[in-house]
Amino acid sequence: KSISGVSSGCQQGGCLTCSDYNGCLSCKPRFFMHLKRIGMKQIGVCMTSCPPGFYGTRSPERNTCTKCRSECDSCFDKNFCTRCRAGFYLHLGKCQESCPDSMVHNDTQRECVLS
Amino acid sequence: EHPLLRALIKVTLLKHEATGKPIVVEGLFVGGSAGKAEGRLMQYHPLSLCNTSEDERQDGDFITIVKLEHRVPRCLPLLDKARMALDKGAQAVIFDVSDDANAAAELREANSFSRPVVLVEAQGAEDLMGLVNKNEEANVVIEIKVEPKWLHYDV
Repeated sequence: KSISGVSSGCQQGGCLTCSDYNGCLSCKPRFFMHLKRIGMKQIGVCMTSCPPGFYGTRSPERNTCTKCRSECDSCFDKNFCTRCRAGFYLHLGKCQESCPDSMVHNDTQRECVLS
Repeated sequence: EHPLLRALIKVTLLKHEATGKPIVVEGLFVGGSAGKAEGRLMQYHPLSLCNTSEDERQDGDFITIVKLEHRVPRCLPLLDKARMALDKGAQAVIFDVSDDANAAAELREANSFSRPVVLVEAQGAEDLMGLVNKNEEANVVIEIKVEPKWLHYDV
């Protein structure tokens, strides 16, 4: 099953160097290295953008996908969540188990909203 | 200097657990870490042991296997990578050093790992990684290889 923007296996478009056991070892410029867990295996995958639940970080050595915080389903970066996990509510980019006094939680959006 | 103790790595595919004969591979304990360990085999990409971000946490006992590659730039010294793998909860760490000539020398310098760290290479490593590539759940038992006593007598 391939994720949009990448095909699995060693011949991926974004791969610069690759190995049979580890998948991608390095990516072409602008691609993100995502370490994808498939059962007991973990392979490197080069992606144009990181999958849900991860955010992209660029650096001179390597662009990588990093997991959002555990209470966050999708995020902009480590400190700014855009959608919380069930049971948590988004307020000012953070996921909280309860909302501030003047607000109530919206279960569908998983957000704190003005009451 | 103490000779490094050898390890016996016994791997059984979970689906063959009742009847299957384990694959037995030899390795080398480093960092004074010789001892017994058991857990599910889990492969980690060499780049996964670079930072302590809140990445995946495994349930239950597991044993980490990492195939090191000289083409992957070192984000951390190998000793730190081994400690990070143990800190992530691994019962033991197996490093396949077949494709990274300096790794074995670097890891032999280690002196204090809290749990077993084992080097494998050549055919043994090939067998192990071949099994990983099948991506079938496997249980691993690591033990100290006991050398036969008669080896030490002059005959």
